[in-house]
Amino acid sequence: MDNYQVLIGLEMHCEISETKTKVFSSAKNGYSDTPNSYIRPLDMAFPGTLPVVNKEAVALALKASMILHCSQPEYLYFERKNYYYPDLPKGYQITQETKPAPVGSFGYLDFDCKGEAKRVRINNIHLEEDAASSDHYPTFSTIDYNRAGVPLLELVTEPDMHSAEEAVAFLETMRSIYQYAGISEADSRKGQIRCDVNVSIMEKDKDPSDPKNWGTKVEMKNVNSFGGVRDAINYEIDRQIALKEDGTYDEMEQQTRRWDEDTFSTIYMRSKADAIDYKYFVEPNIPKFKISESWLESIRASIPELASERKEKYMKEYNLSEYDSTILVKEKAISDFYEEVISLGGEPKGAANWLTSVILGYLNKEELEMKDLYLTPKMLVDLMNMVRDGKISSKQSKQVLSKVLEDKKEPSVIVEELGMKQIGDDKTIRDIVVKVLDEHPDLIEDHRKGKNTFDFFVGQVMKATRGQANPSLTADIIREEIDKR
Amino acid sequence: MERKFTKEMVDDYADKLLIGLTEEENKMVLEEFDIIDAQIDIINSIPNISEVTPMTHCLDDFVYELREDEDDEEGSVPIDDLLSNCDDYVGDEIRVPKVVG
Amino acid sequence: MKYMDKSIKEIHEVLKNGEVTVKELIEESLEKSKEVQEKCNAFVTILDGAKEVPVTDELLSGIPYGIKDNYSTKGILSTGSSNTLKDYVPFFTATAIENLESHGAVATNKTVLDEFGMGGTGTTGHTGIVKNPWDTTRMCAGSSAGSAAAVAAGVYPYATGSDTGDSIRKPAAYCGIVGYKPTYGMISRYGLFPFASSLDHCGVLARSVEDASIVVDAMKGIDKNDMTSWDSKDIHLYDSLTGDVKGKKVCTIKEISNPSMYPNASSELKEHLENFQKALEHFKELGVEVEEVSVDSKLLNALASVYVVISCAEATSNMSNLTGIVFGPRANADNYIDMMKKYRTEGFSPLIKRRFVIGSYVLQAENKERYFHNAQRVRRLLVDRWKEIFKSFDAVILPVGSGPAKHLDNSEDILDENTGVLEEHLQIGNFGGFPSITIPDGFVSGLPVGLNITGNCYDDVNVLNLAYALESTMPYKNQVAKEEK
Repeated sequence: MDNYQVLIGLEMHCEISETKTKVFSSAKNGYSDTPNSYIRPLDMAFPGTLPVVNKEAVALALKASMILHCSQPEYLYFERKNYYYPDLPKGYQITQETKPAPVGSFGYLDFDCKGEAKRVRINNIHLEEDAASSDHYPTFSTIDYNRAGVPLLELVTEPDMHSAEEAVAFLETMRSIYQYAGISEADSRKGQIRCDVNVSIMEKDKDPSDPKNWGTKVEMKNVNSFGGVRDAINYEIDRQIALKEDGTYDEMEQQTRRWDEDTFSTIYMRSKADAIDYKYFVEPNIPKFKISESWLESIRASIPELASERKEKYMKEYNLSEYDSTILVKEKAISDFYEEVISLGGEPKGAANWLTSVILGYLNKEELEMKDLYLTPKMLVDLMNMVRDGKISSKQSKQVLSKVLEDKKEPSVIVEELGMKQIGDDKTIRDIVVKVLDEHPDLIEDHRKGKNTFDFFVGQVMKATRGQANPSLTADIIREEIDKR
Repeated sequence: MERKFTKEMVDDYADKLLIGLTEEENKMVLEEFDIIDAQIDIINSIPNISEVTPMTHCLDDFVYELREDEDDEEGSVPIDDLLSNCDDYVGDEIRVPKVVG
Repeated sequence: MKYMDKSIKEIHEVLKNGEVTVKELIEESLEKSKEVQEKCNAFVTILDGAKEVPVTDELLSGIPYGIKDNYSTKGILSTGSSNTLKDYVPFFTATAIENLESHGAVATNKTVLDEFGMGGTGTTGHTGIVKNPWDTTRMCAGSSAGSAAAVAAGVYPYATGSDTGDSIRKPAAYCGIVGYKPTYGMISRYGLFPFASSLDHCGVLARSVEDASIVVDAMKGIDKNDMTSWDSKDIHLYDSLTGDVKGKKVCTIKEISNPSMYPNASSELKEHLENFQKALEHFKELGVEVEEVSVDSKLLNALASVYVVISCAEATSNMSNLTGIVFGPRANADNYIDMMKKYRTEGFSPLIKRRFVIGSYVLQAENKERYFHNAQRVRRLLVDRWKEIFKSFDAVILPVGSGPAKHLDNSEDILDENTGVLEEHLQIGNFGGFPSITIPDGFVSGLPVGLNITGNCYDDVNVLNLAYALESTMPYKNQVAKEEK
């Protein structure tokens, strides 16, 4: 390993889940358990049907292009990628190639990998359609066309990553961007993200910026989880180094392999010589479309604050630790919850504690997602305010929260039910304090002599109020009453 | 002169299109290729041809609106219609010989 | 009394005044269909169950017509004259046909074409060759062969056609009738089985310019299902026919129509060109200026291959949805590749298969520049030249073909090295999307011949008016095939 450096490039496919309809037909864009239930005639390629471009899908694609610092084309074009496969009803996929220009060309993404700043160049990002999905049985396969025509973004990077960790960090950053920008849920468990990974190795002492020094590129198709990407890259690096070591590397041809989850290895599919010629040509049924400056401006204005910007804000403005900030922005839903708590007047530091220490732990333990959470930002703020106003103690508040989550009731209702009102009223507490002091004149003496009997008095007041007395108020009153004697 | 187009080439192209050609059909394609190729030579002799932008659409200066992202009021096509011309399906799904790889 | 050989206005009159009923018209059209089927083999389906509709103020209401079998018709067999779709019954109707139906038109049959419109002889449909009603030893030309034969034989006043190279306008000439394809996108292509999307036009075959205008008024309109369609609601073709063409300017093309270009012309070609000259004289008498312009013959000689390269390339992709998986007779095979291949090999005629191979070849990465892109470049040069002509002239007027309908026994539809520009020039109308109309201009060897008028995009009214005025100077308006031969 020490003698080599690794070059990794990614092709990341991500379904756009945040449009109502498919990219070229007005069928619903979504997942259904009922096969073939989100279908307009184009989606099964009935003769005479034509594509009609979804404006929102293009807008979201352009948004992604802008976030990745790509250039946007003057005209929108689509191309046909021709090949035969049972899940491709038209016999071609409508996509974009690099000429004419796709929705995004030549940008970059800055991201953080284990505390180190990295930059990966983006070759292009383009908008295309997904294929149908198949199920396989022992003797036959079935096809469900619900997924056919779902908008898909394909992002192609330059080979600028050098380790599996870097590739995964890149993908996680992209997933976060897609979520934050309202483009996609980007959920690989739902099959929304699929990757092709290119790996090559070269001698350590050579300059990686010169393509002449690059090794032989091996592409791995359809790696469908980030874990798979990591494992496939590591496997492939080891495999290629082994070839170098035993002197057979130069015999290896440029090739496509498949990551096999079961055997945990990559399997040879085809060499570059057998690559399919997709016979791209411009889709004549979609007239070239002028992308106006004003449209681009309004799309640009709609780009929300992204994870990296929020993280910076949390650290600088709210004085959160980098660790907590990173946890808060990792999932957009969590960060959105946090933002909402702040906007409702919640104290940033305290709210962050609630989220990182209690709420995320609960979600993890119960294997729930943020959207499944009964607790709303408003409820959390209410709870925090009750503590702030001395209505309940902070110890009690933790108890209240777990009851809220368990019983799915508002915090105020739980507090009521548990009879938990904190006593913050001066006279009530003072009466009890006076009574406790009257009963223990000897301990007052001890206190004056420097013995710690103060906590005993507090404990007695708490006992008398079943823990509902406001602790700091109680302490103040005890001090006052002792001084009076 | 070496033939630019060969029988094997024609068969290979046909195969990639998932069609089979008879000997006679193959021969006709070869003849047509020769004619087209000769005519393409004419095209290539047009001065500065490579500077012309290829015309990819019929109306080049067309102005139009993209489709608004709204559910189709007609909804999904009923499953019976979708499958009415299909010769092989199970349940609501289309069946094909096992797809591998 | 027979009515189906009358004009639309005449038939509308007698329907309105009760001289005849819709039922009687349908019966007459069906009866005539059977007779013409016997003689010319013009139909894929005769619609014996054609239903009566009420007569309204719409000129087309209650009047029978024919539909080329590459238009999708709900509940009615729609084959594209191909074995690949020999049992295909669509669940949706093409927009153009829906529009006609909403005007009360009644279809009585579906007409034979060259398989999917790919051919110019009318001999490659899966139901056999179509014969010319003027002389059954001759072809109708194609691809709208059945529509042309039926209209010429008086089955009804009009039938729909489609035109990718000359598929409406050439058969119209051979059958002595009018063939009109309006500007690209005036009629929606949704539901028209595609041949070459950037060249495909919908249109009509009729027996007069007036009827053609009435029909296209009903077929046209912007369609949300076809992005290349445009709003023509302010264009009223029929209402714009004034016959006043004084001061208009038209031109011929020296390299195409000047007799001096054909020193060894056959007697038929000579006669054909003389007819054309006579028509020009008629134009001059109407106050139309007629001039001759010259076009670089290098461009004109490239025409045929430009057409073949572009149309075959688009066709091979457009027909990739024909695999027998979702529709069409499923082929039996152990694996999906053989299944698709068997279906396609058995389903397509030899002509189409050859065209596919050519189309695929010119799109291959290593050939694309030399063939496909260069063809698209010459397409632009030709269109630019024609647009330049339209700056000075209202229309280009040219003879159609090199004479009357050809004999069926030498109908081989292969690329002929000696094919004259005279046979191919109508394709320029498809390259540029120009409105283009053929009208009969006389007889050669007892068979009808025609001329063509083509104008600039969106200038349909001008083109129709010129044709309308010229038609009125000749005795061929509303002619029906005479059956001496």
